[in-house]
Amino acid sequence: MADAPQGHIHPISSLIREANRIFAKMGFTFAEGPLLETEWYNFDALNVPKDHPARDMQDTFFIKDAPGQVLRTHTSPVQVRYMEEQMKKGVMPPYRIIVPGRAFRNEATDMTHEAEFFQIEGLAVGPDVTLAHLKGTLEQFFKELFKGAVEVRFRPSFFPFVEPGVEVDMRLTGADAPEKLRGKWIEVMGAGMVHPNVLKSAGVDPSKYRGFAFGMGLDRLAMLRWGIDDIRLMHSADLRFINQF
Amino acid sequence: MKVSRAWLTKFFDAPLPDAEVLADALTFHAFEIDGIEKVGSPRPGDDASDDVLDVKVTPNRGHDCLSHRGIAKELSAILKLPLAHDPFSANAPLDTEAPALTVTLEDASLSPRYIAAYIKGVKVAPSPAWLKRNLEALGQRSINNVVDATNFVMFNTGQPLHAFDAGKLAQTDGTYHIVVREALPNEKLLALDNKEYALNNSMLVIADGTANVAIGIAGIKGGTPAGITDATTDIIVESANFNSVSVRKTAQALKLRTDASSRFEQGLSPELAAYGMRNMMEFVAHLLGGEVAGFTDVYPAPQERTRVAVSVEKINQILGTRLTGAEVADVFQRLHFAYKEEGGLFDVEVPLERLDITIAEDLVEEVGRIVGYDKVPAEPLPPMPSAPAVNLNFYTAEHVRKQLTDMGYSEVLTSVFADRGEVAVLNKVDSVKPYLRSNLVDGLNDALKKNIPNKDLLGLKEIKLFEIGSIWKGGKEEVSAGIVTEKEKAQEEPLSMHAPKEMPAQYEDLPLSTASRYQTFSKYPYIVRDIAAWAPSGTEPVEVLNFIQQEAGDLCVKISLFDQFQKGEKTSLAFRLIFQSFERTLTEAEVNQIMEKVSASLKEKGFEIR
Repeated sequence: MADAPQGHIHPISSLIREANRIFAKMGFTFAEGPLLETEWYNFDALNVPKDHPARDMQDTFFIKDAPGQVLRTHTSPVQVRYMEEQMKKGVMPPYRIIVPGRAFRNEATDMTHEAEFFQIEGLAVGPDVTLAHLKGTLEQFFKELFKGAVEVRFRPSFFPFVEPGVEVDMRLTGADAPEKLRGKWIEVMGAGMVHPNVLKSAGVDPSKYRGFAFGMGLDRLAMLRWGIDDIRLMHSADLRFINQF
Repeated sequence: MKVSRAWLTKFFDAPLPDAEVLADALTFHAFEIDGIEKVGSPRPGDDASDDVLDVKVTPNRGHDCLSHRGIAKELSAILKLPLAHDPFSANAPLDTEAPALTVTLEDASLSPRYIAAYIKGVKVAPSPAWLKRNLEALGQRSINNVVDATNFVMFNTGQPLHAFDAGKLAQTDGTYHIVVREALPNEKLLALDNKEYALNNSMLVIADGTANVAIGIAGIKGGTPAGITDATTDIIVESANFNSVSVRKTAQALKLRTDASSRFEQGLSPELAAYGMRNMMEFVAHLLGGEVAGFTDVYPAPQERTRVAVSVEKINQILGTRLTGAEVADVFQRLHFAYKEEGGLFDVEVPLERLDITIAEDLVEEVGRIVGYDKVPAEPLPPMPSAPAVNLNFYTAEHVRKQLTDMGYSEVLTSVFADRGEVAVLNKVDSVKPYLRSNLVDGLNDALKKNIPNKDLLGLKEIKLFEIGSIWKGGKEEVSAGIVTEKEKAQEEPLSMHAPKEMPAQYEDLPLSTASRYQTFSKYPYIVRDIAAWAPSGTEPVEVLNFIQQEAGDLCVKISLFDQFQKGEKTSLAFRLIFQSFERTLTEAEVNQIMEKVSASLKEKGFEIR
């Protein structure tokens, strides 16, 4: 055979490529951070104090002979790392970043839970960012991603690094939405307005700047988007799965 | 937390809506609901039937909402129903010194308040039906009237109580002496769950001060030395406040998490202790048949009032709304927050149990959730002053993806956990692969092995894989890019080696997946059969392929033309058929049968099977 058939990128890579493209149009920069994190960036800087029940919300992998090191339980540590870096360079807000990447939870796996998964974090900080901007940004993202009409709604929730904190549901309403999803509210992420303590941790003055942040599971988003029924396929390295994308 | 609708109705004079309406109210204004369960008899008119809501109280509201009173208070604000019977508005005095009871707190930072009531002449008996029903609706076991009453108060007010059998305690000069102190070295306690706990001096206990023995693990569990039995007549009821971190650490160390400890570790207001005790006192005469001999309330540093201010302007700036001062005032009134307002600035006196409210943003959340987040419009962000910067690592990864897929490599993601490596994970639940990988090649080799048997099914001549991912090697985390094929050994190098020499101005325009829906694949093995035939002249291969597919039926999941050559006038066509079922493992015999049918049909059409 002269030409090898075209290879396939992983659906998560395709989703990250697409998300980056959509968010770039709204001014968001791609940012990243280490998977092996310090407890400071993963918890303390994000307003999750030691010995607080909120730390139980996330079952954490700790590292042997390395106290204070964890596998990051979310992509949120990059919020503080990014802002801190900008402040050090003397670059003041507005900041807008997305952080797609791996995160880890020390829990049993099943069809919808994996110990290793992908998240996409979003952060927008500026003098006049509002919760309404969060709604608008997410609506735009889902509209482009699912190529059709989308509604987004918020429900009250709690994450220590935001205040107020919300749970985000979305609903595809377009006629060409997949039948299984059409008209149904689906919980897609946690979000909220960046807690002043998080801005302080990064050296940003919370009396001058505000921001929104969100964190959404990319595996789950891929599952919704393509009707994938088992999250474990993502790390299966099985081409019967990957080569469909 | 399990919340009984029937229980909630006791807080209101007005009728309460159906459980579904309550669930919606809470979902959109307070907490997620994990489910509604019907309990008791479903017969119409039978008041034993009840709906129990599983309310996911968020960690910031553990201070006040792990109770029916807390949930009732929320519903009162959300549904605008007055909370007619609030145990927190009761203020019967608790100031009768118990003549025969003293309490000593060794460290008031670990036990900020301790109220003890000395109650004489109780009759321990099975609980009445209403009390049993209330507790059983929550999945609790009824024990006796004394223990049930303390549990009722906890689920009612959020304040854990405990009852000790006074008759089992020693006295000094006719006085009982309760001490809250650190456990002694090697001190042990047989708790009410009949397990013996080895304590140490980081743990707080309730002790009989005269005999100097522990009778309870503070805020977690009572001990058998002072447990209530059928013979109990005099009791000491504890309504106390314990330090949240201390209770949490002790419960974790003893692996003993109880309804009491899970409340204390949230951090409770010491004011709750008084509400809980007053609530308990309502039961003494008619339920326990006893008489209050007196109280002791040790509360060295009473909780101070918190005031938090927020302006209407700030609320609107954060939420992106256009709420008026009147709308904000309405929210605070519904929540029973006392406030002073001047020029749009609300100075709020935070209810003592609402330990979660400390900054203006907390009040913004109260306003947002009570008016409802559906009032928040969707607005686009204003344009950024400059275009987003290109991330070099992501650019490089994308570029490598493009190059490799063009060469026929497919991308896999394998686990970062490995059998060996430099960095070990301390607490892996399943304890398999306890290291972080130090290379990609091991994972790639495994993936290759796994995919080779599926080559025919995939229609590939060769499996070629790549991965871009983090490895931990040489004391650092770095992103590596690795490849493997059936012909070439797995290899990898740092992704940064593929970085462009100059910073690119923008990302490359690369294709996205065109897949619309994922198709589940069969987990059963497949069978391959080839068939080659001389085709009559003028035959289109695709027509033959379709014909074979039709003859082979649904079990033939894939068919491809893999060879074609000309000899004189004749054309030889060779097809590969893959058979597989979603329900079972196919047998050679049944596939052979299908192939015979395919051959026969082809012959009939004038093909000569080779």
